[in-house]
Amino acid sequence: MKTLLPLALASAWNRRLSLALSVFSIALAVTLLIAVTRIRDAAQTSFAQAAAGVDLVVGPRGSPVQLLLHAVFHLGEATHTMRWQSYRTLAADPQVAWSIPLALGDSHRGFPVLGTTPEYFRHLRYGQQEPLGFFSGQPFSGLFEAVVGAEVADRLGYRLGDLITLRHGSAHLDELEDRHPHGAEHADKPFRITGILLPTATPVDRTIHVSLASLEAIHLNWQGGLPLPGLDIPPQLATKFDLTPKTLDAVLIGLHQRTDAFRTQRQIADFTGEPLMAILPSLAMDELWQLVGSVERSLHGLAWLIVGVGLAGMAAVILASLGERRRELAILRSVGAGPGHIVALVMLEGGTLTAVGLLTGLGLVEGAGYLFAPLVNARLGLDLSTNAFSAEELRLIAGIFATGLLTSLLPGWRASRMSLADGLVPRL
Amino acid sequence: MRVLDAIIRIRDLSFTWPGSRRPCLSQLALDVNRGERLFVHGESGAGKSTLLNLIGGVMLPERGYIDVLGRPLGKLSSSNRDRFRVDHTGFIFQQFNLIPYLSVLDNVLLPCRFSTERARRTGGSASAEARRLLAALDLDPRLAHRPAASLSVGQQQRVSAARALIGRPELILADEPTSALDPRRQAVFIELLMGEVTANGGTLVFVSHDQRLAPLFDRCIELLAQ
Ligand SMILES: Nc1ncnc2c1ncn2[C@@H]1O[C@H](COP(=O)(O)OP(=O)(O)O)[C@@H](O)[C@H]1O
Ligand SMILES: [Mg+2]
Repeated sequence: MKTLLPLALASAWNRRLSLALSVFSIALAVTLLIAVTRIRDAAQTSFAQAAAGVDLVVGPRGSPVQLLLHAVFHLGEATHTMRWQSYRTLAADPQVAWSIPLALGDSHRGFPVLGTTPEYFRHLRYGQQEPLGFFSGQPFSGLFEAVVGAEVADRLGYRLGDLITLRHGSAHLDELEDRHPHGAEHADKPFRITGILLPTATPVDRTIHVSLASLEAIHLNWQGGLPLPGLDIPPQLATKFDLTPKTLDAVLIGLHQRTDAFRTQRQIADFTGEPLMAILPSLAMDELWQLVGSVERSLHGLAWLIVGVGLAGMAAVILASLGERRRELAILRSVGAGPGHIVALVMLEGGTLTAVGLLTGLGLVEGAGYLFAPLVNARLGLDLSTNAFSAEELRLIAGIFATGLLTSLLPGWRASRMSLADGLVPRL
Repeated sequence: MRVLDAIIRIRDLSFTWPGSRRPCLSQLALDVNRGERLFVHGESGAGKSTLLNLIGGVMLPERGYIDVLGRPLGKLSSSNRDRFRVDHTGFIFQQFNLIPYLSVLDNVLLPCRFSTERARRTGGSASAEARRLLAALDLDPRLAHRPAASLSVGQQQRVSAARALIGRPELILADEPTSALDPRRQAVFIELLMGEVTANGGTLVFVSHDQRLAPLFDRCIELLAQ
């Protein structure tokens, strides 16, 4: 082995141009496979952690998955809302331990703004049932106060006391601002940051939390998504109005007895005031995961297929190179290389190409992760870094390497046959 | 006494290439003595290269037997034949003897990488012995680290002679090593080669279609096309 590796490397280096292409295709295939795996793992973890501690999510009747996406991940637009009065009724139910009303729809520089009550910080859990913690400051208490998630504070460099303005509508990209230069900004009523949360690796990190009353207040002079012309209500006057919200997007509920979840769910489905539904987050997560999962599985299958194509391409390139290496192999045979040496030589080449492809691919994944992880985290709430180089990923890498070695067994065997049949005296 | 000490004994040797109707070699008998420098002459296609392949143990005869150094090649397993070949035989081919991307020195050292016996017999430093051989074969020492591909054909043949000679194998098999050289260089090359073979106490079997080289050798035999 010690003698063969330098030989294999020198020989491969001599043919580096044609080999570089097959390394490149292996690298891209590996990039795809690892990226798909990492995104899947991150999604799964994030899914599992996002709604820890919530027993039921209640919202207007419709698609459970959509309600989940909206209430937990703050994704998508609500097509219907539920009445404030329905929330009051639910909250008064003796089975309900706590309930958190949610109102969405505004954003700040691409981050969703969530209107809720201070109960949110007391009851919401993440990960292994851990409560939310404050990096600094405290929950909002009055009007025009905001608590920002760790990611928001980090990305936008916010500190306690900073003033921010909210934007009407859930513009997810900063670029959208260019298309609506005027009108959509609640510039007249800035919010003061009173708290910054600790990171949770859940959608909380990229959410700006304000009170429901504040949300009412900034929309006092708005109608149908636009400010009413000529009607200005300064912040200090807002308190003169009734700031109880009329509608909500969803309510998170914790029960005294977890086992009551199904019964409560049925009761909410039969709610007489308006058509409502309650979902069990863990079940809806599973459903959502099924949805994402089938895409993920086919992507994963496709990625493996592409890795297979990459490795087969490598075997083909090595096989094709044997023609021009006839003489080289015959010379090696004449100076004492046995058929086993020749097989090993070709397999070392295949192994080296696969390894270089793997490393390049991992480098690309890491590089892309470095560049895009913050974006993916902000947009999708996925933490791509936690699953890097997990046991499964290492198994995957080892599997690809072994497949590469195994694939080069074919040209290796061919080379050993060829050099023997050619004899020691090389022929054209 | 020396005359009876045969290093190669061939008896009743026949060989037919697969797919060929006529035998390439038939009923061949040959003894080569230790220290002898034998010239095998024959037209192109007479089977000279085939004979060298058989002596080298790459192929086995269809009939008859070949002993090299008292060992019947046909009775060795194929991996033992590989081992035996590199330990005791050096090859020089007509051309393209060298691995183009390796340096001159690395080309010469190849047999020592595959055979501990050859490495041992260099007397300690294989690369010092390689440099000695290159110098003895009249090659500029500055070429040692140049890639083999950058050498002229004449220089390449001297490098391949050094490679065949390193580690003092008992037998040197040369397959038309001078065919690509002009007549003046042919003689110079053969003189240098034979000088080193003799200094190493080796035996040389040199095949060529060019009968004019015959007087340079101890003995000459002719291989006739079948
Ligand atoms: N690998 C081979 N397969 C089939 N026939 C071969 C092969 N090598 C040589 N021959 C045949 O064997 C005969 C002798 O070839 P060779 O030993 O190369 O002759 P020489 O070296 O004297 O020119 C030729 O007729 C040639 O066609
Ligand atoms: Mg020949």
